[in-house]
Order: sequence, then structure tokens, then C-alpha cells
Amino acid sequence: MKGLTVSQFYDSLRGKLELKLVAGEKGLKRKILISEINRPGLVLTGYVKFFANRRGQVLGKVEISYLRGLSPKLRKEKIHIFFQQKIPFCIIARNYIPPRELLSEADRIGIPIFRSPLVTTRLTNLCTIALEEMVAPSTSVIANLVEVYGVGVIINGQSGVGKSECTLSLVERGHRLVSDDYINVHLMEGTYLLGEGSELTRFHMEIRGLGIIDVRTLFGVGCVRQRKRIDLAVTLEPWDREKEYERLGLDEDYLSILGVEIPHIVLPVGPGRDLALLIEVAALNHRIKLMGYHSAQALDKQIKDRISQGRI
Amino acid sequence: MPEVKKEIKIVNRLGMHARPAARLVQLTSRFSSEIIFKRGSDQVNGKSIMGVLMLAAPYGSTIKVIARGDDAAAAINEIEDLFRSKFGEE
Repeated sequence: MKGLTVSQFYDSLRGKLELKLVAGEKGLKRKILISEINRPGLVLTGYVKFFANRRGQVLGKVEISYLRGLSPKLRKEKIHIFFQQKIPFCIIARNYIPPRELLSEADRIGIPIFRSPLVTTRLTNLCTIALEEMVAPSTSVIANLVEVYGVGVIINGQSGVGKSECTLSLVERGHRLVSDDYINVHLMEGTYLLGEGSELTRFHMEIRGLGIIDVRTLFGVGCVRQRKRIDLAVTLEPWDREKEYERLGLDEDYLSILGVEIPHIVLPVGPGRDLALLIEVAALNHRIKLMGYHSAQALDKQIKDRISQGRI
Repeated sequence: MPEVKKEIKIVNRLGMHARPAARLVQLTSRFSSEIIFKRGSDQVNGKSIMGVLMLAAPYGSTIKVIARGDDAAAAINEIEDLFRSKFGEE
């Protein structure tokens, strides 16, 4: 999500972090651009060099007791310096009562101040994890996402090639639907992809001739899953007799989404090909590769050994 | 039905491992003729990758290729060319 506002942050996390807005309401339009959280500490003493001011600030026991110990004049001065930096928001942990000067200055400048009963470390951790997800680069992909034997498989292909039928067949075999025809993909920790459907149409599918079905209601809650890490991409395409399809599986093809390379398989669709079964096997083969066994390479090695024994 | 037979020698150093086998069956699959490879007492379908791999034919060995069908002669010629090209290896 680009340009997350403090207001959006507050709306989605007020329950989880038990946040209460106590000052600076007019600053709710401020943008949060990074997911890290900062403890201001030294900044309150006036040392602002290297201050991570783009981060949300969490004030814990140290900060609050330091501020309380100052004379009102000095306190006002220090808070003024702190708020001169452009910061997105502050959260006060353990429901500490913030000094009056902090609240009035926050109201004046428009920096949202929240209070939370959570202890500082837990608050910081939860906040970072939640923000990480909210500010992560994301994109949408027109494809299906199914969890097959624990492997998150994207199924794509042109309209009418049989994606939905194949997905339904997988669900019927006990695998889990994440989304039909639309995947919202988030880049997590810059290294892996997390996919989910749209909230509105979640777990619904359109099957030509049947119309819209609700997979969760028909197949049960065990056959759906809200989100899933994306591990493998399969493209279904009508069998092209002129085209050479992969015969060995020694070379890997990849699909790049948000800069992450996902192993990619092209499956030609033809009469008598049980696509759901083929995708199950692709998922199992992917798992066994992750466990360190590559079927094609292993057999090729055996053949090469045999060839060298028989060398003339 | 025309039948053409030819003995072809393996001239690539690594012999008939997976990659040459894949190239070979990609070629043979384009012909309508039935194609059979023989090595010693083994006889395999020339359009099947697992069959070709089973031969485990090393450098310097000879494979007998039998093609039966209308395009048998063309098939044998192209198969021979592919063997001679060392399957693009080396």
C-alpha cells in the first residue's frame, strides 16, 4: 500500500494494539512510509543527530520518566525540539500518562499521539510486523491461488483454458482455495510473496455454466485459506503442436513478481490430461526439490554413471 | 511400408545422457514413422525419453536405428545429422 496514512494505520490496528488517540488529531493525514519503529530516547535530551524521524515513535518508561523529571520549562523545550522533526506518530506504551506539554504541543503541530496498554517491547514488535505488511510493495495478478500439499501454487492462463475447473478439482481433492482470478500479492521482508484474494469476493468462484459458487459453504472451511506464501507458478495453455514443451525438468524457468523469482511451469492442456493431478505432482516435485532431491538431476546422474561404466 | 535401417555411432563424449536424449526425442516425435532404437538386446521406442535413456549408450557405441513409415528415410537422415552434430555439445 503506497502512502499509508496514520488514519489508516489507526483504523486497522486500534483493536490489536488497543490504541487510543489522545492528541494531534489534525495530523491523522500524515504518511507512514517505513515499517520500522523508533524509541526516541536520546532525541528527547536534545541530541537529534541520526534521529530516525520517518519512523513511528514509541515512548516507553525511559522516555516518560525522563520527561517527568524535567522542569516544566525544560520539558516544553525538549518536546518542542522533538516535534520539530517530521515524525508520523507517537505511541505511549503501558498507558503511561503523557506530560501535558506533550499533548498540547502535539495538538498545536498536528502529530497524532496514541496510548496503548501494551508493554513497550511487545508494542514495538506488533507494530513493526503489522506496518511491514501495510507498507510492503504490492501488486495484483490475474490468476488463481491454491495451496496444494502446503505449496502455494499460482495457476494462470488465458480465459477459458480451464483454470477454474482445475482449481475446483484441486479443492475437491482436499486442497485449499485462496483466490479465484485475482491475487493481491505483497512482497514480504523483501524476499517472499504473500498472496490473498479480495475481501469482497473471497472464496467465491465463477464456473461457466454454473455461475457463482461459494467454495467455503460448499466444500467447508477446511478447503479454503485466507492467505498463502507463493511458491510455484503454473501456466496452463492450449497444446501447441509446434511448440517444444519441457521434457526433462533439468532447466528451471521463473516468473518474476515484484522482483521475486517464482519457479514456473508451463502445462499444455490437451484431452485426457488430468490437470489437477499434474498440478498435485508439480507441487510434490517442488517440495521434494526443496528437501534437496531433484528427480531429473538424480536420474541423469545415474544414467551418466552407467554410461561411464559402459564406456568402450 | 518403407523401412529404413541404419547403424549410427555416438560421437559426443558424454554419451546419451538426459539432454541429448531430450533433443533426440524432440526430433523423432516430429516424424509420423515408427522409430525404434536397438542397442545389444535392448530395443526401445525412439520417441520415448525414458526409452532412449535406458540405453545408457556411451561414447563410441553404436545404436541401430529402424524407421518404418512414409517419412522413414528423412527421419534416418535427420537423426544421423543430430548424432553427428554431437547434440550441440563440445
